[in-house]
Amino acid sequence: MARPRKTLLLASALVYLFLYIPLAVVVVFSFNDSRLNAEWVGFTWKWYDQLFSNPQMLQAARNSLIIALAAALLSGVLGCLAGIALHRFRQKWLSALVLGPVAMPDILIGVSLLLTFMLFNIGLGSISIILAHVSFCIGFVALAVQARMSGMDDSLLEAARDLGASPWQSFRLITLPLLLPGVIAGMMMAFTLSIDDFVVTFFTAGVGSATLPLEIYSMVKIAVTPEVNAVSTLLMLLTLVLITVLSRFSPQSLRS
Amino acid sequence: MKKFLCCVVLGLSQTVLADKALNLFNWNDYIADETVARFESECGCKVVQDYFSATEEMMAKLLAGNGDYDIVIPTQNAVEALVKQGFLTPLDKSKLSNIGNMAAGFMNKSYDPGNTYSLPYAFTTTLIGYNETKMAELGLEPGDWSIIFDPKVLSKIKGKVTVMDDSEELFAAALKYLGYSANDSDEKHLKEAQAVILKAKPYWAAFNSSSYIKELTVGNIWVAHGYSSDMFQARSDAAEAGRSFTVNFVIPKQGAVLALDNMVIPRKARSPELAHQFINFMMRPENAAELSNIVGTGNPNAAAKPFIEEEILAISAIFPSEQQLNSLETLDARNAKSRRVMSRLWTELKVK
Amino acid sequence: MHHRLSKVLLALPPAAYLVVFFAVPSLLMLLASFRYPGEYGGLAPWYYIDDGQLSLDLTTENWLRLVESTIYLGLLLKSLGFALLTTLICALMAYPLALTIARSPKRHRDLLLLLVILPFWSNFLVRIYAWMIIFSPQGALSEGLNAVTGLLGLEPVNLMFSSTAVIVCLVYVHLPFMILPLYANLEKHDPALLDAAQDLGANARQRFWKITWPLSLPGIYAGGVLVFIPSLGIFAIPDLLGGTNGIMIGNVIKQQFVEARDWPFGSVLSLVLTAITLMLVAIAGRFGRPKGTANG
Repeated sequence: MARPRKTLLLASALVYLFLYIPLAVVVVFSFNDSRLNAEWVGFTWKWYDQLFSNPQMLQAARNSLIIALAAALLSGVLGCLAGIALHRFRQKWLSALVLGPVAMPDILIGVSLLLTFMLFNIGLGSISIILAHVSFCIGFVALAVQARMSGMDDSLLEAARDLGASPWQSFRLITLPLLLPGVIAGMMMAFTLSIDDFVVTFFTAGVGSATLPLEIYSMVKIAVTPEVNAVSTLLMLLTLVLITVLSRFSPQSLRS
Repeated sequence: MKKFLCCVVLGLSQTVLADKALNLFNWNDYIADETVARFESECGCKVVQDYFSATEEMMAKLLAGNGDYDIVIPTQNAVEALVKQGFLTPLDKSKLSNIGNMAAGFMNKSYDPGNTYSLPYAFTTTLIGYNETKMAELGLEPGDWSIIFDPKVLSKIKGKVTVMDDSEELFAAALKYLGYSANDSDEKHLKEAQAVILKAKPYWAAFNSSSYIKELTVGNIWVAHGYSSDMFQARSDAAEAGRSFTVNFVIPKQGAVLALDNMVIPRKARSPELAHQFINFMMRPENAAELSNIVGTGNPNAAAKPFIEEEILAISAIFPSEQQLNSLETLDARNAKSRRVMSRLWTELKVK
Repeated sequence: MHHRLSKVLLALPPAAYLVVFFAVPSLLMLLASFRYPGEYGGLAPWYYIDDGQLSLDLTTENWLRLVESTIYLGLLLKSLGFALLTTLICALMAYPLALTIARSPKRHRDLLLLLVILPFWSNFLVRIYAWMIIFSPQGALSEGLNAVTGLLGLEPVNLMFSSTAVIVCLVYVHLPFMILPLYANLEKHDPALLDAAQDLGANARQRFWKITWPLSLPGIYAGGVLVFIPSLGIFAIPDLLGGTNGIMIGNVIKQQFVEARDWPFGSVLSLVLTAITLMLVAIAGRFGRPKGTANG
C-alpha cells in the first residue's frame, strides 16, 4: 500500500492538535489550585478529593455511563438493521423515519417524548432516558452502516446463497463482519451522543435519575469549578478503560 | 458480553431501588451543603437534588406532568401559576411548628393568601454587579440602570457588559429604567422598552444568564445584570482569588425586581411527610441563616437575624432598606396574551 | 419469497421502534402546533365535551405567525449558512485524517480512531468552557492576534462573543461525526485498485481524484448529514459564545419551549426546520451520491 505522504501526515497531526488543545486545557485546569479556571496558580489534588466526597456527582457519573452503554448497544443493533434495510430497499418512508430524529431539534425530541411517555404511562427514570437516546442514535448508526455498505460487493452474498447458506448464516458470516467497522463507528457516535446529551435528558429524566450533564449544568452558575474538570477527566479515562476491557473480552466485536 | 449485560441490569435496578429520600427540585446552588448534610442526618434519609436555572425551565418540566418531587422552590409568580393549575398540595400547618419565625412582611401575599400552599424560603434582587476598580477608573456610576441602557454611558464600556438572557428580567429592567412598573403589560410601553434594549444591544457583549459570575471574577466583563446571590458569589470569589480588582453590586436607584422564592409540595409528592419535615427544618433560625451566610440571599425568616453575619446584614443589596424595599417589585404571573406579546418583542430584538 | 421475508424482518424492529418513539411523538407535536398554549405554559386542552357534544378548540394562528414576518426566514437562512460552513470545514479537516487512519497499518487504526473520539467523552459544556478560556480577551490567543492587528493598525478583535467563536466550536463538536463515517467508508477501499492505477501510470493526484475521491462520496455524504443537521438546530453554543449577534434558529426554538412557554409556536418552528432539513438531505443525496451505489 502507498505510504501516507508527508503533507497528509502534517494535516492529520494538525487536526489532532485541534482536537486536543481544549482537552489539554480541561485536564490541566483540573489540577489547578484556583476555582477560577482562568490562569495557572499551582498544582493540587483537591478537586479530585472533593469529587470523591460528592456522592451525587459520582452517582450521576455512574448513571451516565450505564445509560450511554445501554443506548449504544441497543441503537447498535437497531441501527445496523436499519442501515442494511435502508441500503437494500430504498424506501423514502424508511429513510424519513430513521433520519427524522437526527433532523429534529433535540428540544422537540425531548418535549415530544415527554408527552409520549406520559401518554403511555411510562415512568420516567433511567429506562425512559435510554429509550429516548436510542430514538435519535439509531439514525447515526444506520448512516454509518449504510455508508459502509454502499458499493459493497453483493456477489459474495449470492455465492453464499447458491452454496445453500440460510439468510441468517450469510448475514452472520458475510454481511456482519464486513459491516462491523461501520457498526462500531456508529456505536461510538451513539455512546458519545448519549453520554453528552443534556436537552433530551432534561425532559425525559425522572426524579433522582440525573446524569452527569444535568449535574454539571447545575453547577454552571457559579462557573464551572475545577471539580467539573476533574469529573470530566475521570469520565474520559474510565470510558477508555471500559472500552479497552470490553475489546479484550470480545475480540471479534471490536477489531475490524 | 453477558457479564457486561448483567452489570447494566444490576446498575439500573440499583438506581430504581433508592432508599428513603427527599426529592428536592431547587435552583442551582440555592442551599448550602452543610444544611443538606444536617437534614440528612436528622431525618435519616437522603436528599436528592435536581436543579433548574430558570423559572421557565422548571415550569416546562412540571407542567408536562413530570412532577413527583417532594419539594419545589418556585418564585412567587410561579407559585401563583402552580396553585391555579391545581399542582400543589395544601400545607399541613400542624406539622410546621416553626412557622412563627417567619417575618410578617413576607407572609400572606397575594399570590398565596394565607400561605395555604407555600412558605417563603429566601429572596434575591436582580441588580447590577460591577468591577469596582474599573468603574472608579472610568468615573462611572453603576447605581443607575443607565449603566446598561444609555448608549452615552455604554460607549465607555463597549463589549464589557452582559445582560440576563431572560425576557422577563430584561424587560422589567428596561421598564424600570423608563419609569414604568416592572409588571406593565401595556403593549406601547413594552415596545418602548424594546426600543431601549435595541439601542443598547450593540454595546453589550452578550445576553448571558449562565457565566456572568465567572466573567466578572476573571475580569472579562465589567458590568453584569444578574441576581444578587450570584453577585455575592462573584464578589467573594474575586476576593478569595486575590484579583487585582474588586467586584461589588448595587440596586439601581430606579428600583428593581425582587424575587421571593418559596417552598411548596406538589400534589404527586412521594413522601409529603418528609417534605413537611424539611420545610419545618428550613424555618429553624440557624438553618435559615445559612442561606444568607453561605448562599448570599435575603432572608424572610425574622428569627434568623441574630444568626446572620453582621457584615452580610449590612449589605443593602441583599437586605434592602425600608426605602429601597418601596422601589422593589415582585413579578406577577403574566397571562398568556401578555406573555405572547413579550415573547414576540423578545424574539425580534434577539434576531435584529 | 424467502428473500422478501428477510427484508421485512430486517426493517421491522427499527421501524417499529421509531414509529413508537419518533412518529407518534411527532404526530403529537403536529397536533400541538394547531393548539393554543396553556394559560401558564404547556398546552391548552384541544377539545371540550359539553352535554355529550364534542367541540374542537384548534387554530391555524401559530402557522400564520410564521409568514407574518420575515425575521424567522432570515434567521433560518443565516443558520443554514452557519451549518453549511461548519460542514465544509469539517469535511476539509476530516478528510486527511480519515485517510491517514485508513491507510495506516491495521494494528494502529483502532488506537488512532480512539484518539479521535476520546476528547468527546469528557463533557460538552466543559469543552466549551475550555474554548472560552482559549478565546478569553486575556488569553494568549487574543493577545497574540491583537498584537498583529495592532501592528496593522486595525481595531482589536474580540474572539469571545463572536460568530467566529460559534463556528470554531460548531466545527469542534461535530468533527468526529464526519471523521468516523468517512473512515468507515475509506477503510473498505480495495488497495489493489490504487496499485493497478499506479501500474497504469496514474500519478498520486490522478489516483486520488479518479479512484479514492469518487468512492468516498457516500462517506462524505453520511458525515455531511451527521454534521449539517445537528449543527443547524443547536442552541447551546450560540447561547454561550454567540454574543448578541450570533444566535441561530435553534435558540428561537428553545426560547419558545422554555422562556416563552409557547409550545405550539415552538412546534411549528421545529416541524418546519425538520421538514426543510430532510428535504435538503434528500436533495443532497440525489446529487451527492455517485451513480451505481444508489442501489444495492
